[in-house]
Amino acid sequence: MPTTLRIALLAGLLALLSNLAVIGFIYERTHDDAVASLHRQVTEQSKVLTDVYRSGGKAALDGAIQDTLAYADPQTAVALIDSNGRQIEGNLAQGPSVQSMQEGFHSAIIRLRGQPSPHQAEIVLSRLPKDQWLVSGRLVGEGLAFRLTLERSLLLALVVAGLLGLLCGVILAHYVSLRIGKIAAVANRISARDLSQRVPLSGAGDSFDRLGVQINAMLDRISKLMEELRLLTDSLAHDLRSPVTRLRASAHAAAETTDPAEQEELLTSVVRNADALIRILTTVLEISRSEALTGRNQFAWFDVGELAAELAEMYDPLADERGASLNYDAPKRPVPLYGHRQLLAQAVSNLVENAIRYASGGGEIDVRVRPGEKQIRIEVGDRGPGIPLDRRQEARKRFGRLDSSRSDEGAGLGLALVESIAHLHNGELSLDDNRPGLLTTLELPVHPPQSAR
Amino acid sequence: MGRKILLVEDDRETSSYLAKGLSQEGHSVEQATNGQDGLFRATDGSFDLIILDRMLPVLDGLSVLRALRAAHIETPVLILSALASVGDRIEGLECGSDDYLVKPFSFAELLARVNALLRRREARVDPADHRLTVGDLEIDPLSRSVKRAGKKLDLKPREYLLLEYFARNEGRVVTRTMLLEQVWDYHFDPGTNVIDVHVSRLRRKLDEGFEKPLLHTVRGAGYMLAA
Repeated sequence: MPTTLRIALLAGLLALLSNLAVIGFIYERTHDDAVASLHRQVTEQSKVLTDVYRSGGKAALDGAIQDTLAYADPQTAVALIDSNGRQIEGNLAQGPSVQSMQEGFHSAIIRLRGQPSPHQAEIVLSRLPKDQWLVSGRLVGEGLAFRLTLERSLLLALVVAGLLGLLCGVILAHYVSLRIGKIAAVANRISARDLSQRVPLSGAGDSFDRLGVQINAMLDRISKLMEELRLLTDSLAHDLRSPVTRLRASAHAAAETTDPAEQEELLTSVVRNADALIRILTTVLEISRSEALTGRNQFAWFDVGELAAELAEMYDPLADERGASLNYDAPKRPVPLYGHRQLLAQAVSNLVENAIRYASGGGEIDVRVRPGEKQIRIEVGDRGPGIPLDRRQEARKRFGRLDSSRSDEGAGLGLALVESIAHLHNGELSLDDNRPGLLTTLELPVHPPQSAR
Repeated sequence: MGRKILLVEDDRETSSYLAKGLSQEGHSVEQATNGQDGLFRATDGSFDLIILDRMLPVLDGLSVLRALRAAHIETPVLILSALASVGDRIEGLECGSDDYLVKPFSFAELLARVNALLRRREARVDPADHRLTVGDLEIDPLSRSVKRAGKKLDLKPREYLLLEYFARNEGRVVTRTMLLEQVWDYHFDPGTNVIDVHVSRLRRKLDEGFEKPLLHTVRGAGYMLAA
C-alpha cells in the first residue's frame, strides 16, 4: 500500500524534524567552547608526542612524556601502552583497555597515579608502530562531564526519535487505512450494485464519522433518485404503451382498409398518437433538464406580472370555451424576477391548463401574482374538485395523474414539470385547498441562485 | 418560384426524404452530409435557405452557423434538432438561426417554415408600414387598423398581431407552433388547443357575415390566409 507507506514516512519525517528542532535547541543551549578547547588541547598534545616519536623514536617519546607530566597541570593524562596493554611510560594508574578501542576520541574512566578515585576523562588514542598506543587525555570536571554525556545522548535521542516517529507513522497510517478501508469497502459493495449499503459509524463523532454521515446522506439521496428513476421508467413505459398500441392499431387498420375516407381518418389518428408520444418524451426531457439545472445560463430579469397577464390573456378564450372564466389580478407595479422566462411561462401555462382541465362545470379560475420582498408567489386557483390532502404528494409525482380514466396522455407530467422548473429557480410548488378547489402556488425567490449569476 | 436550398443533414434517410419533398415543391436542393462540407458549400452565399441539422459529424450545426454569421453570410438558416428542450431551442435561436424545428417533425411543418423563411427574405425590402391586402381585406400596420370590404373590424391587440402574421404569410400554410412562436414568442408545446381557440375567434370576426372565407384550415398542417 503505497499510500500507507507515504503516510508512515511522512509522519516519521515530521517526528524526526520536530525532535531535531528540540534537540538542536538543547544542544545550542548547552554546548560551549569548553568542550571544544578540551578536545583541542588533547589533540594538540597527542600530535606533539606523536611527532616526537616519529623524529626521535621511543627514547625521545619517553623523555617527552616525562617532560609533559613534569610541566603540565594535574588533569593531564599521558601514557604509552604496549601491545599487551601494559603502561611503558605515563601517569595512568588505571586506564582504558586500549586493545578493544579504536583510534580517535573516547570518553573513558581513568585513575591517575597519585589520585584516590577514578575520574571521567576525554582521551585521544593514537596508534604507534609495533602495536603501541599513545594515550593523551584530560580529566573532565563535573559540569563538563554532564555536558559531554548530554551531547552524546542527544545524538542517540535523535536516532531513537526518528525510529519512534516512523513507528508512530506506521501505526497512524494503519489506523487511517483501517477507517478508510471500511468506507472503501462500502463503496466497493455499492459499485457491485448494492445501494442499500451504508458506511458504519464508530460513534466517536470524529472526522471519519462526519465523512461517513455525509456519504450516507449522499447514498440516501442517490437511492431516492434511483427509486424515482425506476418509477419514472416504469410509468413512462406504462404511459407510452397505450398511445403506441393505438398508433400501431391505427396504422395496421389504415394499411388494411380500402376506403379512402376511413384510411385518412386512421392516418390522422396515427399522427395524433405519434404527437402525443413526442409530447410525453419532450416533457420528460424538459423535466430532466430542469432537474439537472441546465438552462440557468439563460436566466435574465423580466416582469412576472407582465408574463402572467400575457398568459391569462392567452388562456382566457380557452377557459371561456370550456365554460369557465379566468380572472387575472394584476399587481400595481412591475414584479421583476431573475429567471428563465420561457420555462416559467411553460410552468404557469401548465398550471392554468390544469385549472381549466379540472374546473369542471364553469368554475372560476383566479391567476394572481403576489410580489414579496424575497419571494414572488404566482397563484392559480380553480373551483374544481381539488385534490384531497393525502393525495397531493402523489399528484406532483411524474405520471401521478389522479384521474386515470383521462385519455390526454402526458397531462400527468404537468405538475412534475412545474415542480422541476420551480427547483431550477430554487423555488417550490405547493398544492393547497382553495375551499373549494385546488390552489397551486409557485413560490420563487426574487434573487438569482448563486450558481446562476 | 423554385429556390436554391442547402440541406446539411447526416442521416441519409431523413436527408433524401426531405430533399425529395422539397424538390417536389419546385426547389433545387443541394445536400451535404457533414458540417465541414456544409460550411464549405454555404460560404459562396448563393443559397436562398440553409436547412442545418444541429448534430453533425466533423463540425456541429451551431459551429457551422456561427462560422457563417462571422463571415457575414446572412442566408436564412433553419435548424433541425433532436434537442427539444426549451433551453435548447432558445440557444439555437440565439446563435443566429432564423428558425428552429425540433425532430421529429411533420413535413408539412417543415415546408410551412421553409416557405415563411423564403418569403421573409423576399419581404425584407418592403417597408413595415406598407399596407397589406388579402382579397377585400386591408391591413394598415401603422395604425393597426383592419378593414374588410371597407368595413372596419374591431380586433383585440393579440388578434391583430395574429392577423398581421397571417397576412404577411398570405397563401402559405402557417402551423400552430409557428403562431405560438411568432405571435406569442413562446417556445413550448401547449397541451391544449389554446391556439386553435384564438384562431377561431379571429375567424369569427374576420369571416362572419362574408360569403367568401379568408382564413382556411389546412388539415394536418395548420391555417392559411388566402383570398
